[in-house]
Amino acid sequence: MRNVIRLVWFDLKPELSPPVWIVMEWVVFLVQVGIYGAIISQLVTNPVIGDYKQFYAVGLVIMITFDMASHTGRHFVEHAHEGRLPYLLSLPISRSKLFLTIALQGATELALMLSVPLIVTLLIIGNLTWVSVVACILALFFLGFGVAGLMLGLSFIAFKSSDLYTAMVTGLSAVIIRFSTVLYPFIVLPSQYASAAAFSPLTYGSDLVRFILGFDPTILLNPYYAVAVLAGLAVSTLGLGIFLAQRLVEGVKSA
Amino acid sequence: MSEIRVILAIARNDFSYFFRTKWLMAILLSLNLSDMLVVALVYGNMMTFEYFNYFVPAVVVMGLFAASLDTGRRIWLALREGVIQYELSLPVSTQGLVIAYLLAGGAAALVYASSLLTIAMIVLQASAILSALMLLPFLFVLAMGLAGIAATLSAIASTHGEFFFAFQNIVQVSLLTLSTVYYPLDKIQNYLPSFILPIVTSNPLSLAAEALRQYTFLGIPIELDLLLRILLTSVPFAIVGAFAYLGALRKIQAQGKI
Repeated sequence: MRNVIRLVWFDLKPELSPPVWIVMEWVVFLVQVGIYGAIISQLVTNPVIGDYKQFYAVGLVIMITFDMASHTGRHFVEHAHEGRLPYLLSLPISRSKLFLTIALQGATELALMLSVPLIVTLLIIGNLTWVSVVACILALFFLGFGVAGLMLGLSFIAFKSSDLYTAMVTGLSAVIIRFSTVLYPFIVLPSQYASAAAFSPLTYGSDLVRFILGFDPTILLNPYYAVAVLAGLAVSTLGLGIFLAQRLVEGVKSA
Repeated sequence: MSEIRVILAIARNDFSYFFRTKWLMAILLSLNLSDMLVVALVYGNMMTFEYFNYFVPAVVVMGLFAASLDTGRRIWLALREGVIQYELSLPVSTQGLVIAYLLAGGAAALVYASSLLTIAMIVLQASAILSALMLLPFLFVLAMGLAGIAATLSAIASTHGEFFFAFQNIVQVSLLTLSTVYYPLDKIQNYLPSFILPIVTSNPLSLAAEALRQYTFLGIPIELDLLLRILLTSVPFAIVGAFAYLGALRKIQAQGKI
């Protein structure tokens, strides 16, 4: 375990000295909620949604989770592309520990990124309790693991062309967010968009977090479905990730 | 005359690099098209306000802004990868190199935004094609100004990529949030203190979005006043950016690095 922690710290240290990205993410979050969210909520007149600023703040927290998780998946590919992966594979640690390192690093970065936005969101909603904090963190980490696993699963494309992989995952990211309930509830989506949103993991993640935080359940998807989808996604994609880390990465060279 | 040719060659090279960066094209197109065809439409379902008609023209300005800001990333890459040392050895003055980057930034952003404008005109069935064409030179100057902001950020951040991207992100969010790109001025007046309002109204992004909405999509005859305001608010950014980048290049010439 000490080796795993050492490796996690080795990767995290450059990002924390100074923690530019984390502070920047917090500032951008505060501007988006404090100005954009507040002004656009004046335009949202649908009574079912209530205060749109609260709805939007949760959406931003989901977007940060998604960004961090997909960054973790991409990090693995970047390591392969930059020749760092062969070095990591040569270290005296097992493949499963290496995979655990990637997962732990992603989880630590996610926790750091989310700390301020999540607390601010809970304060805006007026639901800052231990139960809500723990339940939200669990839901967000499940979503994060699922998305990171999905990006890792796509990494086989990078072994053909890393340019194509980056183009695919970055392009896909914007579309996955827009075709989901991150920014708007399921009931206001036109039918053709709603069917696409039903396939987005972010739909289930955002609706589950909103359910935990006491939003009107009539505008949300069934929380049991959301739990099942997120758990299924996390387990299946992480399983795929472990398979890739153990079987496919040996000797690969990213194009 | 030969220097102009070199400037144009550098600008053409930088211009084509923008469109050859696949991941960038994927991000910009997926973001802007989904904003136009999904976000604008769905937000409209939550409002009594005609948000689709309001937001679609603004997406063109957002695309222009994002594409212009990429000039900063290309300058930062040139500084980090040492390409700038090669470019400084070319038969072109330092000022010429700065002009080449700003021209390429403006042209790439304009071409990209024009494609979005075409889609927006089809989606909203706008017919004022002549007005749209007349706005293009002003959008080009705006794009050069925005590229100037990006050049300033990359010169300040030097080779520290994390600072450059952080600065860029904060500037992008602040300029867009404090503009009428996303919401009308009366809603901003209801919320933000009055001393912020002059910043919002003189923000070149607000002016460009307003010009597109009024002249291209509502078909109102073009008024010179608004176009002049776009020029007056964009040119200073381009000048500041040019001087910042020039300063960075002079430092490289004198010390070999920044």
